[in-house]
Amino acid sequence: MPRDSLAEIADDTLLVLYANGDRDAARLLTHRLLPRLVSFAGRMLGDRAEAEDVAQDVMLRLWQMAPDWRQGDAKVSTWAYRVASNLCTDRLRARVRRRTSALDEVAEPEDGAASALAGLIEADRMAALEAALAQLPERQREAVVLRHLEGLTNPEIAEILQIGVEAVESLTARGKRALSAALSGQRAALGYEEAEANG
Amino acid sequence: MDDLDDLFAQARAGAMQPSDDLTRRVLADAERLQPKPTAFAPRVTVRQSEGFWAGLSRFFGGGFSLAGIGSAAVLGLFFGFVQPSALMSMTTGMTGADTLDTLELMPGVDALLTEE
Repeated sequence: MPRDSLAEIADDTLLVLYANGDRDAARLLTHRLLPRLVSFAGRMLGDRAEAEDVAQDVMLRLWQMAPDWRQGDAKVSTWAYRVASNLCTDRLRARVRRRTSALDEVAEPEDGAASALAGLIEADRMAALEAALAQLPERQREAVVLRHLEGLTNPEIAEILQIGVEAVESLTARGKRALSAALSGQRAALGYEEAEANG
Repeated sequence: MDDLDDLFAQARAGAMQPSDDLTRRVLADAERLQPKPTAFAPRVTVRQSEGFWAGLSRFFGGGFSLAGIGSAAVLGLFFGFVQPSALMSMTTGMTGADTLDTLELMPGVDALLTEE
């Protein structure tokens, strides 16, 4: 099918076309989904190589299940975010396990989160945000990233995280409060106080 | 915190983008895993040319059927030419005719065929 006529087609229809042998459908689906998956996984994991691995894994699973995809069951993007979310969670938990086993052999520092933020005095704002996001509990981080950085709606996030909309609202609100608290001590380092003084 | 919203806005603008290498890998996966279209070609069976008797035998449903039909035909001819007395007396009794030169199998049709 010509690519121009594919541009208006919904993701799930593209997936069916892909399953029926349409190569342009695969290219267009990749163009639509891959940047969002890399962005989301990148914010969750803070590491490009890992984010790309997760994104590739999600796309691989998408191609594999394309013949069995039932139209109307769920949005393809929602499904992809959910799989990416699970894969990121697995990797984050593996990191915690590795860190825990490593710290067992070394004296544990007091208040790791605070010291991590304190080390970001010279870091730029994005690095500070990433560091602050990394301190959030997994679910809060997922909700904040999906809502405020990926621009998804609360019902979409509820479907991805498989929780209620009210729970999403609660997670994002708590996540934002925690981010504000974590970043409030960094205002000078982030240049906000200087900007206000000049303004 | 307005600063946080500013940070979110900046972060949205600077989202991580997939590398060209990743895109190539994903498209390669897609091509490798894409189901191949099923070809619906007509099923052609090549049958070798068969001889007259083999064809005739197949037409009548096999060698035994053909043998039965052949035997019945030979027996009919035999009775027609020889006209055994026992058979003639039986046909005379059934038809009322002395000879079996003509036999009306559908006598009722004559009335329809007769011109006025």
